[in-house]
Amino acid sequence: MRGIQRNLASLEAAGVKAVAISADTNDESRELCQKANLRFPLLSDRKADVIRSYDLLVPHGGEDDRDISGIAEFLLDSSGTVRWRHFGETKAERLVDEAKKL
Amino acid sequence: MAAKLWNWRPWAGFGLSLGALAGYVLWVNETRAVFWPALLLFAVAALLLVSGLKRRPREPELYRGKIAGYVLTSLSALILALFGFLVYEVSRVFPEAKNSPQIGQRAPEFSLVDSNGENFTLSQLLSTPITNSGGAARATKGVLVVFYRGYW
Repeated sequence: MRGIQRNLASLEAAGVKAVAISADTNDESRELCQKANLRFPLLSDRKADVIRSYDLLVPHGGEDDRDISGIAEFLLDSSGTVRWRHFGETKAERLVDEAKKL
Repeated sequence: MAAKLWNWRPWAGFGLSLGALAGYVLWVNETRAVFWPALLLFAVAALLLVSGLKRRPREPELYRGKIAGYVLTSLSALILALFGFLVYEVSRVFPEAKNSPQIGQRAPEFSLVDSNGENFTLSQLLSTPITNSGGAARATKGVLVVFYRGYW
């Protein structure tokens, strides 16, 4: 997440917005947002409906046996079509490279 | 007495085990399906190790390497155990993602609230220009959607 923040200007220069989704509550997202000084939206998917629709749910993967999201990145073009995707953490520089290809 | 032959099978089996583990670690981020090819490599490795172990006692005057075969087999078993542990850990951390939107597919729409209480939908993110702090607007060419485990 911090890597994305560091490269946010490069992503935006390539015409790409960034959003992040997790099963965190809004309060948890706000805490992370402030602590890491993130300037892109952290969306709260408390019921994990969106996470499920992307088939990324990791049941009992989190603290207190919470259902959480797996790590994944999807790069969509302006029509909302997936142009690149990756499961697991990706270096932000790679994301910028892929964004430039759009 | 002629020079003894090199019993290459345990070595090949050991090498294959190492390769299977390395391949799994390298590719697991791309797709969890890499688990099956790795398992296949381990099966071939096991065959090589067993046949190598059998070959020496049968013809000890022909093949050298008294203990190498056993050492290599033990090491390969350790590597297989490590592989099993990794597969288990990966299943707890990585989603299966079989029905994840694939390249070329339309990403599912979403409507979620951010930490400031502002609502975001994918279609709205795609259709509105990028506005940065400088005030200049830029056409949106795409959206990067990042899923993360959460903050704890």
